Amino acid sequence: MIMRESIVMKIHYGTALGAVFLVAIHIMMRMTMDFHDSLQYENVIANYEMIGYAILLELILILISVHGFNGLRVILLEMRQGKSYEKGVTYGCIAAMVVLVAYGSRTIIMTNMGMV
Amino acid sequence: MEKENNAKEGIKGWINPAKYGKFGIERFAWILMRITGLGLLAYFIGHIYETSSILNGPAAWESVLELTQTTEGHIFLSLVIGMCVFHTGNGIRLMLVQMGYGIGKPARPDYPYKPQSLNMKGKACIYATIGIAALAMWYGITVMFG
Repeated sequence: MIMRESIVMKIHYGTALGAVFLVAIHIMMRMTMDFHDSLQYENVIANYEMIGYAILLELILILISVHGFNGLRVILLEMRQGKSYEKGVTYGCIAAMVVLVAYGSRTIIMTNMGMV
Repeated sequence: MEKENNAKEGIKGWINPAKYGKFGIERFAWILMRITGLGLLAYFIGHIYETSSILNGPAAWESVLELTQTTEGHIFLSLVIGMCVFHTGNGIRLMLVQMGYGIGKPARPDYPYKPQSLNMKGKACIYATIGIAALAMWYGITVMFG
């Protein structure tokens, strides 16, 4: 399946705006108490166990992964072109993105469900 | 084809100082956008790995957290804040430019053929973004060392 580059860039900008908004909330959560206290194990676990916050983390994970790996793809395609190279870069970035989302989701889901 | 291959500079083109003198702050913003993007992606991957240590209990979490609770760790995190703010600010500028805002009106190309789009508004936005990123880094340092 080939997606038009203009659509890909719209996704790139959409994920950027979404990530900025959600990361701002994520950082503000660190400001609800002393920065160092907010990183204490019990406080972090309590954050993960809130379903709303877990959904927020999952959305951030997906948005930044899509944005980040598409950005990497764009940089790599700017440097060199060629049919097989472009295909390799695109599928490589998609695979890396899927692995990162899966790995991050594992942490979020297991912690949210109290499997720690 | 050989001529085209010779024109490919890759990473060497990124770090060639002659390009900055020739193309100005816009070129600097272009390279900084890529460096901060790659830096933030690397940090994000590290952050996902770092936070996964929470699954191994409090001792594992504390030992990983200790890495960022040092002077070097705080300086590294303040750099991440700076990269994040610059990447965001410059990214919003680029989105606005692509939507046609702030690029000036079309005009007849006269010598020395300066593009309408590379105007003072764009330059001011880039300088402002760098300034805001520096302020955010300073604020981050005061919070982390405070």
